[in-house]
Amino acid sequence: MQAGQIWVLVDARRDGLTRSTEKLLQAAGSLAGVKDMRLTGLLMSQDEKLIESVSKYVDHLLWARHPDLTTYEATRWLHAIKQLFQSRGRPEIVLSSAHSIGLELMPRLAAGLQGAYAGSVVSMGWKGEALLFKRPIFGGRAYEELEVVRPPVVLTVRNALVSGGKPRSAVVAEIDEAPVDIPDGLGLEIVSREQTSRGKLELLEAERVVAGGRGMGAEENFKLIEDLAACLGAGVGASRAVVDAGWRSYDEQIGKSGKTISPALYVACGISGAIHHVLGMNTSKIIVAINKDPEAPIFKNADYGLVGDVSKIVPAITEALAKCLQKE
Amino acid sequence: MTLHCVVCIKQVPDHEAVVRVESEQNLFIEDRYICSFYDEIAIEAALRIKKDHPDTRITAISAGGRRAVEALRRAVAMGIDEVFHVGDESIESAGSMAIARVLAAKIGPMKPDLVMCGKQAGDDDMGAVGPMLAELLGMVHANAVLSLELNPQNQSFELDRKTEGEIWRLRGSLPLLIGVEKGLAEPHVPVVTRVMKAMKAKIENEPVSKLGIGDHDIESGLQRVRYLQPPVRGEVRMLQAEFPENVEELVRCLQDNGVLS
Ligand SMILES: Cc1cc2nc3c(=O)[nH]c(=O)nc-3n(C[C@H](O)[C@H](O)[C@H](O)COP(=O)(O)OP(=O)(O)OC[C@H]3O[C@@H](n4cnc5c(N)ncnc54)[C@H](O)[C@@H]3O)c2cc1C
Ligand SMILES: Nc1ncnc2c1ncn2[C@@H]1O[C@H](COP(=O)(O)O)[C@@H](O)[C@H]1O
Repeated sequence: MQAGQIWVLVDARRDGLTRSTEKLLQAAGSLAGVKDMRLTGLLMSQDEKLIESVSKYVDHLLWARHPDLTTYEATRWLHAIKQLFQSRGRPEIVLSSAHSIGLELMPRLAAGLQGAYAGSVVSMGWKGEALLFKRPIFGGRAYEELEVVRPPVVLTVRNALVSGGKPRSAVVAEIDEAPVDIPDGLGLEIVSREQTSRGKLELLEAERVVAGGRGMGAEENFKLIEDLAACLGAGVGASRAVVDAGWRSYDEQIGKSGKTISPALYVACGISGAIHHVLGMNTSKIIVAINKDPEAPIFKNADYGLVGDVSKIVPAITEALAKCLQKE
Repeated sequence: MTLHCVVCIKQVPDHEAVVRVESEQNLFIEDRYICSFYDEIAIEAALRIKKDHPDTRITAISAGGRRAVEALRRAVAMGIDEVFHVGDESIESAGSMAIARVLAAKIGPMKPDLVMCGKQAGDDDMGAVGPMLAELLGMVHANAVLSLELNPQNQSFELDRKTEGEIWRLRGSLPLLIGVEKGLAEPHVPVVTRVMKAMKAKIENEPVSKLGIGDHDIESGLQRVRYLQPPVRGEVRMLQAEFPENVEELVRCLQDNGVLS
């Protein structure tokens, strides 16, 4: 691949860049650094505060400006990005984290660019002139490594790791305000937005997750999980058994038919460790399992295991953590 | 006015089928295939639309080798009468873009009002074919759709789309392509008589050459270098000390791993 451009689609929430986008910008910086490619952060939000947080990672901040882009809508964003491909030149590599926007837009952009696409990429690196990357298939039962034989390539990245990259030294980004043209009435009308996890930490973004299963015994015992989560600054997860029982809501379900997450710490409390559950969390960095049954399969997928009753152990962990965090 | 709804479906290994990396170039896949999870939801959703709007034509389509026929038989058993089988085995390994091109070539001339795809397929977990197909057909699309209400009189729709911690309600005009999310419908299990009937259904194959698709259309720009084992976790360390020493030990371990802050 010749020296060229890497574009990263920036995903932002009200409170700034998402953690996954921040990680992706760092990873993309390593990729770009090796080949002297130019790294562009593509910012669609009209929020000026984001300029600073993005520009510390990129060479070039491309800021698509149009009032109709403020709130994401697939057709309008796509229309704007295609205009930027025209006016700024086509990138060889386009990256996005695997959030709902990236998953909706990126394959479509790839088709528009007549390029290649892959989703759920977990690591990337150069081999000679070729970009190689890995991704899980069959729900994580195997992985595949793919090589880009004909750029451009568009990737959504789940947990941005770059092998063999070098971190970038500080860069001063060029800020490129790009007015775009959006025809009236293009795309869908946004009727309303309803929060489903009010005030809760979004699981896909959480650095730590505490999850409970049927072994918690009752809906009200999830208070113990919430206390531990609050102490850790963690999100709350659940097994399907407790979601089906109506103890917790579906957006907390971890596993094959729920969310797939990769936090730094996952604490499984009273969860047996069925394969369907494990598929949603086994890429976590450190897994702690608490179960009264020493033979529970969850221990085969854990780094640390504690055998015992969750109603005793979980509050004890909260207490011990609170003490040790106080000391710091 | 007739509402034409096309459902794209794919046969994939069951969630519980054994999948094993035998060597870098070989994957063992147990012969237990099903119609992909989200695709069955799409079939059911289409049947529900027909219930609400009887003047609906539903077409199911699958691209691929002989297994694609099994997915289509499932669709017939569930209640869809018109099914199309296009392409052959070679399509399956050619990648999402090739599949999208083949589907677009078949679906485009039908000028459907609604196309439904799964949010992602149960084998490659790509989630690519739907949005790509939308681009090729020049249709508006929405991914992760939880509910959909159609008004065929004025060709309008409202839908709910799932995002991180929020549900967005969107409104627009047909035609539309959606990526189906869990919750859009609950697939029913077809009765035995329907399954029997579906087994006898004649499903003809249409080769891609007939759709005007050439070799260069099925290049993906990607090449598989190898299959890899999923990363393995080290042996679990059971904290055997008596309560509450085991808890204190755990907190120390977590501190040492740097995962607390
Ligand atoms: C197609 C399909 C998709 C699925 N998708 C998912 C999915 O996305 N996510 C998911 O989680 N599951 C999923 N499942 C279900 C999965 O197979 C399991 O049934 C489910 O994960 C079990 O939940 P659990 O571990 O909470 O309950 P159980 O299996 O009942 O386990 C409870 C555990 O708690 C322990 N326990 C009991 N009391 C205590 C106590 N006082 N203290 C400590 N430990 C205690 C028990 O020893 C046991 O190990 C799916 C299943 C299918 C067929
Ligand atoms: N070979 C195929 N034939 C018909 N539809 C397909 C095929 N492959 C994928 N699809 C559709 O596209 C969706 C997403 O697939 P994928 O991009 O492979 O994750 C599936 O749920 C199907 O609805």
